[in-house]
Order: sequence, then structure tokens, then C-alpha cells
Amino acid sequence: MSRGFLILETGEAYQGEFRGGDSNAGEVVFNTSHSGYEEIATDPSYYGQIMVMTAPMQGNYAVDRAVWESRKMWIEGFISVEIQQSERDSSWRRQLAENGIPVLSDLDTREIVLRLREGGTPWGAIVKAENEEQARKLAMELITKKKQGEADWVHAVSRKSMEVRPGQKSGGPRIAMMDFGAKENIVRELCSRASEVAIFPSRATADEIRAWNPDGIMLSNGPGDPSAVVGAPETVRSLLGWKPVFGICMGHQILSLALGAKTYKLPFGHRGSNHPVRDELLNMVYVTSQNHGYAVDANSLPADARVTHVNLNDGSVEGVECPSKLCFSVQYHPESHPGPHEAVRLFDYFVERIQR
Amino acid sequence: MPRLSDVKKVLILGSGPIVIGQACEFDYSGTQACKALMREGLEVILVNSNPATIMTDPEISTRVYIEPLTVPFVEKIIERERPDAVIPTLGGQTALNLALQLADQGVLKKYGVRLLGADPEVIRAAEDREIFRKILDKVGARYPKSEMVRTYQQAMEVADKLGYPLILRPNYTLGGGGGGVAYTPDEYERMITKALKESPTSEVQVEESILGWKEFELEVMRDKSGTFVIICSIENFDPCGVHTGDSITVAPQQTLTDREYQAMRDEARKIIEEVGLATGGANIQFAVNPQTGERVVIEMNPRVSRSSALASKATGFPIAKIAALLAVGYQLEEIRNDITKTTPSCYEPALDYVVTKIPRFAFEKFPGSQDVLTTQMKSVGEVMGIGRTFKESLMKAVSSLENRVDGLQTVTFSEKMLAHPNSQRLFHIAQAFRDGWTVQQVAEVTHITPWFLEQMEQVVRHEQDVAEAELTAEFLLKTKRLGFSDAAIARLKAVPTQNIRKLRHELGIRPGFSQVDTCAGEFRSETPYYYSTYWSKVTAPVATTKPRVVILGSGPNRIGQGIEFDYSCVRGVKRFQQEGRHVVMVNSNPETVSTDYDTSDELYFEPLTEESVIEILDRLKPEGFVAQLGGQTPINLAKRLVEAGHKLLGSSLEAIDLAEDRGRFAKICLELGVKLPAIRIPSSGMAGDLEESREIARRIGYPIICRPSYVLGGRRMEVVENEDELDSYFGRHGDYISPEEPCLMDQFLEGALEVDVDLVRGSDWTVIGGIVEHIEAAGVHSGDSMGVLPPQRLKSSTCEMIEEISRQLAERIGTIGHLNLQLAVKDDQVFILEANPRSSRSVPFVSKATRIPMIDLGVLASLGKRAMEVQPTKYQWDSGPHVSVKGVVFPFKKFPESDSILGPEMKSTGESMGRGGDYAEALLKASIASHINIPPTGEVFLSLRDQDKELMLGLARSLVGMGYRLSATSGTAKFLFNEGIDCVPVKKVHEGRPNCVDRIRSGQVALVVNTTSGRRAVEASFDIRRSCIDFSIPCITESHAAEALLTALKKHRSREFTVLAQDKMI
Repeated sequence: MSRGFLILETGEAYQGEFRGGDSNAGEVVFNTSHSGYEEIATDPSYYGQIMVMTAPMQGNYAVDRAVWESRKMWIEGFISVEIQQSERDSSWRRQLAENGIPVLSDLDTREIVLRLREGGTPWGAIVKAENEEQARKLAMELITKKKQGEADWVHAVSRKSMEVRPGQKSGGPRIAMMDFGAKENIVRELCSRASEVAIFPSRATADEIRAWNPDGIMLSNGPGDPSAVVGAPETVRSLLGWKPVFGICMGHQILSLALGAKTYKLPFGHRGSNHPVRDELLNMVYVTSQNHGYAVDANSLPADARVTHVNLNDGSVEGVECPSKLCFSVQYHPESHPGPHEAVRLFDYFVERIQR
Repeated sequence: MPRLSDVKKVLILGSGPIVIGQACEFDYSGTQACKALMREGLEVILVNSNPATIMTDPEISTRVYIEPLTVPFVEKIIERERPDAVIPTLGGQTALNLALQLADQGVLKKYGVRLLGADPEVIRAAEDREIFRKILDKVGARYPKSEMVRTYQQAMEVADKLGYPLILRPNYTLGGGGGGVAYTPDEYERMITKALKESPTSEVQVEESILGWKEFELEVMRDKSGTFVIICSIENFDPCGVHTGDSITVAPQQTLTDREYQAMRDEARKIIEEVGLATGGANIQFAVNPQTGERVVIEMNPRVSRSSALASKATGFPIAKIAALLAVGYQLEEIRNDITKTTPSCYEPALDYVVTKIPRFAFEKFPGSQDVLTTQMKSVGEVMGIGRTFKESLMKAVSSLENRVDGLQTVTFSEKMLAHPNSQRLFHIAQAFRDGWTVQQVAEVTHITPWFLEQMEQVVRHEQDVAEAELTAEFLLKTKRLGFSDAAIARLKAVPTQNIRKLRHELGIRPGFSQVDTCAGEFRSETPYYYSTYWSKVTAPVATTKPRVVILGSGPNRIGQGIEFDYSCVRGVKRFQQEGRHVVMVNSNPETVSTDYDTSDELYFEPLTEESVIEILDRLKPEGFVAQLGGQTPINLAKRLVEAGHKLLGSSLEAIDLAEDRGRFAKICLELGVKLPAIRIPSSGMAGDLEESREIARRIGYPIICRPSYVLGGRRMEVVENEDELDSYFGRHGDYISPEEPCLMDQFLEGALEVDVDLVRGSDWTVIGGIVEHIEAAGVHSGDSMGVLPPQRLKSSTCEMIEEISRQLAERIGTIGHLNLQLAVKDDQVFILEANPRSSRSVPFVSKATRIPMIDLGVLASLGKRAMEVQPTKYQWDSGPHVSVKGVVFPFKKFPESDSILGPEMKSTGESMGRGGDYAEALLKASIASHINIPPTGEVFLSLRDQDKELMLGLARSLVGMGYRLSATSGTAKFLFNEGIDCVPVKKVHEGRPNCVDRIRSGQVALVVNTTSGRRAVEASFDIRRSCIDFSIPCITESHAAEALLTALKKHRSREFTVLAQDKMI
């Protein structure tokens, strides 16, 4: 255990205990989910981000590889008030450290959260350092370097080649999914309703997808700024109206871009398991699992598209439907993991659409 | 969707007197709901028999009825008020049961009243095991399997099916007699044979055991559109086997994976939908097998509850208020989140802190009762600690208990106390770690989830460091973050607590105050609801242009200090606000109205300890703090707070000391006696040991009341009748007596009439709030005796004398604000027993009986208002047309080994109030409201001590005249025969069988009058009283109370009673 800091590019410094991993930079965001630290860390949507958990105690129920949402951890750092650290069990902390993810604890995360809420989500770095001065220097180097990396985060996390998975529903539809950083549970939900699922890289062409001749197309979640994603909006645009399309999170944003809408950066994003949404497709109000820093501008949607889902906290767009182009999408995560399950019915809705 | 247009007037059912398992959390829920519905412009009618509640104040609803919560009375109220709907989900199980009766007996239909929040089907689904199990089967939820066994053969088959361990519950035995847990087939064979024999119907419920499983509770809400949210998850520190009310609990849950938690959440949603709960709140309890992850449902309550109050305080989400709004038609998305004021209520709170609740017990009040926790709830109160981490919250909760301010104190370790759940187990766990036990070892013995034990272990391991290390700023901060109080550090360092505080302040280590904001900081929140934590930086308090006043609450409910003091605090808050103050509330009890963020201008959920309160006062620099509203807790703190430089409002330290110091107080009384010759003080003395006590006894003469100094609520207080008993008293309580803390010995005024006087004094005025005459004679604790206002037996000249004495005493003491006096009247002499320089337990009752707003007057006095402004003469306590009787309820059923005889030690948990046109009606109502089943016919069994026999003759004659049959023990029977009264003689217990206890237990007796005195006689008649408690037969143990009950019986027969709405305060 040694001294560690979170340094923001805007100058703030927060001192805590550095509990393993390698000093690292990323966009600093917070998540209010009470449970699900493993799912969060392995969700490719968190690529490039340092995660501040608002729940003060992390690692409580240890680890289970079966709940991983992808093959690896994507977060750039993990911050909480306390992280389980006992002789019996410090497996979560150890696992983060072994994956090189820096862990910073023993500091007031609320202070950071209030900063992010008020001033947006800047870049920052978790660094191991003896003093603040040393920390700042190291942090700025890491931030600068990180910013020079790949701008298309979706490409950075997406599979680079196509993968086909057998479905569990014989006679069910064949579904193609564009992988923008897909969580494993989207694949699971699809497989349980489909006869076959083909997963395409984010830069797959429309022709490649057409060639597989799916019954429906899923656009997955993924990290970063949708406007930085190369290729996918065009691909989706050329597929619109051909087969039913269902977008989730980044998929929803790419779909909206394909429809001609614009996206913008939210002040500090939505990350948590408690966001209320009004769903006019299922005609319900329910609590959803969310993770996004960008949103679709409702005013920029074309006339034949309508906003079907609204975030009841801030009124932002949570879902869009364009019946003439056979597509609909949601900004939040009906596949949950972590989070509540009410919205899982949207997968059924998708299959109904396909079979209609 | 807007609210229901056809509901304009609603009737809210309260929960009645405080009992174990149903306490002031329902005042909190009801008050919140009333306020919300009043704001909606509805007419709100409230009925509750408990006068000590804020909800029964006339300002809270349109009209209040302080009437018994039974069908005849509520029907009369419905007939008179004609509400559109009844909301039964806010008054606990009492209100639900009453609603069901109103529905079943056709009252609701007759008057065209609907039930909102829960309909009879929903209530039945929660109450009826079979219906509930069918629902669980339907949604695929598991529950502990069980079968009713009638034969040995069948018992063996059932055991094979269910597997071990097995829980045996014989039918119709009391207190679970003959039941237990069988871990092996051998044990089971032995136990089932016995259990089948013990059950009068030869039926034994054999149940799959979930002992040692992890226990969870979800607080859920649903609206009519189907929106479903979990407000809070709660995890029990104690595994299954301990009632959740007696468990240490933690929110939010700490040890479930997201998948486990979401599966539980899904199941809760399905159950609520299948039960048919259309709108409102509910809680569902689950158990999870720690090895297999298997989950079962334990129970569901379709109403607000103790845990929903805890969840509301833990999260900031006002469950009762929202439930009330949902009941009248709103949907969650239409209701704004009060705390953030920007987001809607259809969300799930996110917490960036941890909350720990610890129950407070009162075993010491019930001699003979065993400190063992089971599935039967026994705790009388609870505290909640909010901390940034579990460790900090746990330690703050321990401090909040008020008897352990220095943390996890060392105890003499006992493995038995570790293995079997009891009120002290937490301390034995800590001790186990000190004694070198590992987490795994403790987990094996206790079945407590290792995660919790690890947290405790980390705290305990740090103790050694504290003892040895130098207290640098860094180390001290770390120690404070682990939750160590200054007192705990001081204990480990063996230095005075003040030194630690001084050092800490010098090092600049101060707690920050974080907001409870429902959203973990995600949204800006304006509601000033705070907890202290050493994890946060110090920030400036909210700005206000008004002067701040800090009111100290009363902490956990305990016997002797309960809801009455919360009433005082809350009403005090309101009045200080009216007087232009920015009012800050400090309290640690999650059940209360005072800890509703909506009550005060600024709420601090903090332990009521010197350390915590000083930090708050230093931060806020208020105009002053108020110590006289929260009972003895803040009075005990006042001196230290003044020494720390803060201003006490109301009576000065000197005035408090004059009232509380027995020596100084006696001196004042003697001085006043010169002017007022009727004044007496009981002869008394202080004995440091037995030797000394015998001398004093010779001087005073028996009987004598003995008690150790520094006691609350009359603990270890006994009437001693002779030297043998004095020896025995010292034998049992000698540990609490020393020359430094001597035994107080007072002349016992046999047969005297006791009265309570409550008054408020300003600098140039005094208002007598009322004189409450105790119905029982002196010797029964004032909290346990029934009382009547105005007095029925005191002469008016004596009342006037009492008023004069009270005024003069208050003036001499220099009281500013409240003063409570306990007096005894015998032969026209007024004995002054005790003075309490604060608002008392009787203040709410007195205010409601006389319409004098005592608390408001106390506030005016504290603010220095003069007679000209206050106009004290308009408050005349004896001018009203009604008689009010205070009834009392006792928890004896929960303590099977304990005696129900009343004495100088307080044992009651709650009170009721009956108001009527005459004494009889008031008595009748108070008795019914106190759950005394007044038998219309049947047998009355009398067992009277000699000095009562003559006195009770009239009673016996009247009973016979009213058609009751009498039976009596031989001595009493003989006496009655001689007086020409017919009665059945019955054997005493030691005279063979069948005896009087057999007669009571076989259901032949409807009412028992058993007066007795002297230790041996009391012990000999214990079984009589115990069997009455077991069979819910009223048992009167004091002759004046018996006479009063007779008066009520007569009234009951006449069937003439009315219902009275409360009038506004003067």
C-alpha cells in the first residue's frame, strides 16, 4: 500500500491509497450502481474511463469469472472509498491489480462526484506518487499520451473478425449484431431467442452483413463519442428499411446518426442502475441500467422518427423509433448486468418485430 | 394520471399504544401521510388511541379522534364523518386488522367507504399462510416447507421429506412450549414425541429450518400503472433465527452479487403483482442459503412498517408520504422527489454511505426474563448510525445506544454469548477477536456472514494500535474514520475523553457533514439532512438569516423514555419556527417524526453524545440549544455542552441541578414548608452498604422504597417490607450500590394518592398544565399507573394547594420552561417525591386533555417571553367539560419468565387515552384502547391480600349484582362467605390440583383480581398472573385499579358511549 492520487486535467488533486495496478489515465466518470463491479469493469462501454464508484464499499462479494461481460477489463482505473482488503478475501482488488488496473481507495469519492457533476467529466489519471507535485507531473504525461490514442473507441474495443454463435431457439430468427463493444449479455439475450447469431466488427460493411442474410440486426452498446465512430453510421444507413434493426446505447446513437440526427455530450453522463425511463413502446415507466456520456438531440431527428423513451430525471432521449425504416433503439441497457430487468422485454419486442 | 376525483375525505387509522413490534414508526408514517394529503386539499380524519403521538395533534389533520381502534368506535366515527375512503396501510398490523374487521362486518359497505392502499384480498394474502403460499407457488418462489404432523408415523415420513435440521412448532401451546430445533433424527424422535403430547390438539407443525441463512428485506413500492421500485435493500447482520426487529441490520445490502440481488428484486416484483397490491409500499423478507445461494421468501407486509421507516431515514425517500399519494391516485412519475426537488419519485435511491440499525433491549426491566433472541421480537427501541463505511456506521450506532459511548467495550467473554443470539452478542464478537479468535471461527459459531465479521475484526485489531501508537494527525484521522469515538480512544489510551477532543481539535481533525440526498451526489439536493463523517472535508453549513436553535432529541426508545419525548421535540420545532428560528434537530432514532427531514429546517442524524453534539454546535454556532424536550438524554448532556461554550435555552444548569440533586431539592422543599405547612417530604436516607441501610430502615420504618442512585425509569427500584427483604435487595442489587453511588431509601407512603403535575414557567408567569391523579395507589411507577385528569378523588382544596406548591417550587428552583412534579397525597398532606426539570412523559396526554399547548408555552418561556405576551391566565387546565384517562400497555407476553405485578420499576411500553363525558366513559375507552378484554359475563377470580379484603367487598358485591360468578382462593373465599357473598373456593397453587392456575388455564376465568405484597406472597402468586398473560385474561394487581375497572365494566354494559373529536389547542 502506498500513496496515490487522482489528478484531473483541470488541476484538482485527490489523495488516497494506491492499492495496485499501474498508473493510468482516462476520462473520469462516476457510477451509482450499488452492485455489479465486475460487470462494470468488464463492460467494453467503459473503455477509456476511470470509474469512481459512489457505493463506498467494493469487492464485498468477491469475484466470479462467469459474470464478466467480455473477455477482459476495459476500465482505466477503479476508485472507491474502501475496497475489500482482508486476509480471507481481497480477490477483487487483486484481480484489478493483476489486470494492471490502478486502484485508488481511502478517499472521499463524494467530493470527486460533486466535482464531476458540477464541472463535467474531464480527463484524469490515477498515479502512484510520493507527493502531489510528482503526481501532477506523471498524470499530465499519462493524460497527454492517452489522448493521442485511437479516437474511434468503438473500433478499439470491437471484435476484428466475424463470429457466429448458435442460438438456443430452433426456428427462431437469425440475428446479426454489429459489435461496437458488445456486452456478453446482449449476445446471451439474443441467443436465447434466436436460432443463430452472427457478430460483426464495427467496421463491417453493409454487404458483408447482407451476405449473411439475417432476419434482424442488432446494434450493440459501445464506448465513447458516437461522432468519432468510423464507418458504422454509413453501414447502418444503407441497411435501414431492409430488416428490423434494434439499437442499444452506442447502437442507438449510431442508428440516430444514420437517421440523420445529431448527438451531444451530456454534462456528466448517466451511469448507474436506477434511472427512470418512460417507455412508450411497452407503455410502462421503469427503472433502467444506464451507461452513456452522449445523447441524441431530439430536435435533430427526422420527421418520420419519434422519441419513444424519455429519461424522467433530465428529459433526455432514451429511445427512438422509425417505423418506416423498421428500426427502434434505446439509450439504456435492457440486457442489464448490472441493473434491473424490466426492460428485457424489449428483446422480445425485437423478435416480434422481426416475425411480424 | 391525477388523483382520484371521487375521494375528498379520507379516514386514516393509527396504530394505537406503543407495543413491542409496533412503535413510533407509525406516528412517523401517519404524520407524513396526513401532511401530504392535507397539502393535497383533502379532508383528513384521523383516529388513534395514543395521545403521545404527533399525528393526534389537532394541527396535523382536519379532525382527530383519540378513540379506541375497535370496530364499534370506528364505526361511530365513520357514521359521523362519512369519509369516502379509509387508508389502512399506515397504522401497522393494528390498522390492517381493523380494516379487515370493518370490511368483514359490513361497516365499509354500509357507509359506502372504500379501502385505499390495500384491499381485503391483499391483507388476507399477507396474513393467511395458505393463500400466501399459493401465490408463491404461482410465481415460482420458494418458502420454507412445512407440514402439520399428527402421528409419530407421519412425523418420520415428513422428516425424511424435509431433511434436517427441523423446526417443531406444536399447535396451541403458549410461547412455543414444546417446540424447538432438531438437528439429528435422534433428537427429532425425542422431541416430536414430547411435542405431540404437549399440543392439546396433538398437532405439530414441522418445518424445514432456515436457521443460519442470510436474511434480507426489500422495501418496495408500486403504483397503479405497474411502475415498481425498490426503495431500499436491508441485510441482517444476524442470520435467520432472530426476529428482524431484534437484528442488527445494514442498508443497503452488502454481500449479494448483482445477479443475486436482481433475482431477488424480480421475485419481489412478481409477488407484489400476484398478491394484487395495486399501489403503495410493502416489504418482503427473504432468506438466502449461504452455501448454495438458494433463496426462500419468509413473509410480506403490504403496508408501511418499522423497516419502511428505517428505509425512509436511510435513503431520504419518504415511503409513507408517497404511499399516501399513490393511494389517492397519483403515479410515481408524477410525484417529485422531495430531497432533490428536481427528479421524480419513480427511481431507486443510490447511497454513498452505509446505515446500521441496532435494536435496544430492556431485559433488565423484566427480572427473570432471559436475554435470548428468537423469532419473537423483544427489543423496545432502535438506533441508526450513518457512516461512510460499514465500520463507521456500526460504531456510530453503538455510540447512539447511549450506554456504550466508548465503543465496543470489553466484556467477559463467553462462548455461549457468542453462539446464542442475545442483546450483547456484538460485544462478545469483538471480545472474541481480542481473545484471538479468527473470522472463520466466529463465523462457524455465529453463522454471521464473514464480510461483517471482517469489518468488525478490522476495528478491533486497530484498538491495539490506538493503545500503542502516537496520536499523529494522520493516525488519528484514520482512527476516527474507523468510527472510534473520542471516548473509545480515551479508554484505550487511559486518558480523559476531553484530552482526546482537545488534541483532535488542535490537529484540526473535525468531521465533515455529508448530505443524505437519495442519489449519491448525482443531482444537486437542497434538503439539509446530514450525517457526520470523518471521510468528508468540513464545509460551511447552509446559510440562514434566522437565528439557529438546536433541539436535542431523546435517542432510542426505551422503557421510560419513548415517543412522548419525540412529541415534545417535534412540537417544539414547530413553535420555534413560528417564533422565527431556524430549527436544527439532532436525534439517532429512525422511528421518529423528529428525524423526518420535513420536520425541522436542518436535520442531523447523529448519536446524542457529548462528542457528536459538540461537533454540531461548534459547526452551527446556534443562538442556543434546547435540552428540556428530549427527556433525560439531553438533560444529562447539558452540562458538558455548556462547558464547551454553548448556550442552554430554558432552565439553567443551576435550576436543573436544584431539581435533580436530591439533597438540594429536599432542602428547598423544607424551606418552602415553612410557608406552606402541607408540604412534606418522605423520610429518606442514603446507604452505601447493607449495614448502613439497616440503620436507615430503623429510622424511616418499613415499607421502604429502595433504588440505586442514577437510575432512569425506576430501574432496580423495589418496595421493601421488612429486614429480610432488605437483605435480599442488597443481595441482588449490591453490585450497583457503593458509598460513591449509594442506595436511596425512601419512606413508602402506603395507600397514598399519587399525582403528576406538569407546568411551564416563564420569567414572570406560570401555567399549570394539569394535575394527573394516578388511579393506582402510591407504589406503582407513574409511567405504569393509569391516570385521570381532572382528579376524581382529590379535594379541590388539595388541588389548589398542589397548584400553589408547584408554582412556588418552580419559582424557587428558577425553572424556565418545563417542570414535572411527582407528588403523593396522604391525609391532606402533600409529599413531594421528585422533580424533573424538563418536559415529561405526561405532557402530551395533559396537552390533549386540557387543550393547553404545553410545549409551545415552554418554547415561549425559553425565549424569554413575558406574561404580557403569553397571557398565561387564558390557560385553565380544569375548565374543560371532559374527563380524560390515561391507559397503559405492558409487554409481559413477550417476556414469559417475567412477573406482571406492578411496582416502582416502570415496565410499560405505551399509553392510551380515553376521553368521555364522565370518568366511567373515559375509563372504559382507555381500558379498551389498552387491549384489556373487558368480559361481559363469566367468572371473576379473586385472590386478595388481607389489607385489601375489606376494601374489595363492594367490588365483589357489585360483580355478583352484575351477574358475574366469583371464585376465590381459600382465604378470600372464606372472607366473602362470611360477608354473605357466594363464591367458588379454589385451591392455591401449593395446595394441590386442580388449583386456581389450572382453572385459569382451562379457560374458566374471564377476569382476575390478584393483589399481593411481600416478596414471598408475590412469588407464590406469580403463576396466577403469568397464566393470565398467556391466555390474555385481564389481571388487575392493585385494588384501586380494580375499582376503576368495575366502573368501566358498568359503563360497558350500558353500551352508552360517544366519540369525541379533539378540539383545537387554546
